Amino acid sequence: MLKAYMILSVILFSIGIVGLISRRNIIVIYMSIELLLNSVNISLIAISADLADSSAQVMSLIIIAIAASEAALFMSLFVILFRNRSSLDANLFDILSSNK
Amino acid sequence: MQNEVLFAILSLMAILSSIIMISAYRPIDSALSFIVTLVSIAALFALVNATFLFIVQIIIYAGAILSLIIFIIMFLNIKDENLPEEKHKTKWLLGTSFIILPFSAILIDLILRSDIEHNVVASDKFGGIHQVGLTLFSKWILPFELVSILLLVALIGSVTLAKREK
Repeated sequence: MLKAYMILSVILFSIGIVGLISRRNIIVIYMSIELLLNSVNISLIAISADLADSSAQVMSLIIIAIAASEAALFMSLFVILFRNRSSLDANLFDILSSNK
Repeated sequence: MQNEVLFAILSLMAILSSIIMISAYRPIDSALSFIVTLVSIAALFALVNATFLFIVQIIIYAGAILSLIIFIIMFLNIKDENLPEEKHKTKWLLGTSFIILPFSAILIDLILRSDIEHNVVASDKFGGIHQVGLTLFSKWILPFELVSILLLVALIGSVTLAKREK
């Protein structure tokens, strides 16, 4: 069962990488990053069940907390980008470096 | 046997909905299909007896983060002309898949060859809130406190970033 879980985690991770590289919509990019974190969580949970050790579950709990804080920051970035450029294109995301 | 059938159904749901998630044109479609991915991943957690993480995944990911995304999508009132054009989206998706495919094939081959399975028989209480909480507050107390600082920083940072400049 552990091997099947890890293979599923590798497949989901590659899907997330493909979405992260090839899309330009910033919301889809954000959700691809969340998919990467989730696929890592899958393999951590499978390993913890296989070894009967709950340290990996705590690790994935911390990963979920990091993902939540990342969500808050990304949402405010969406709001800034949409307010200034009225677009969700990630290629327009150069307003952080210049003073408009 | 029952577990294997459930695992096959859930993993198929997760993979299909994540493919829909990265290829949908409108962000609301990809958000809704990402909810399906997250809920099936939560069910996969429950399949290996990680009950606490199952609840956390449903409450935090499917409940809080995804509802925040959907709320933002509705709040910004995104129309079709606000979306990026992405003329060559299919080409990009196929091209990156071809680039990523060898790496994931090597990883899957490595996993299949290795002998990683131990299968320690765990007790029924394993993965519940009692054991996870004991580990969290004994071995992992420093990362726990650091995560609380990180959440505070993210809170202040998002408020400062989204504040309207005068």
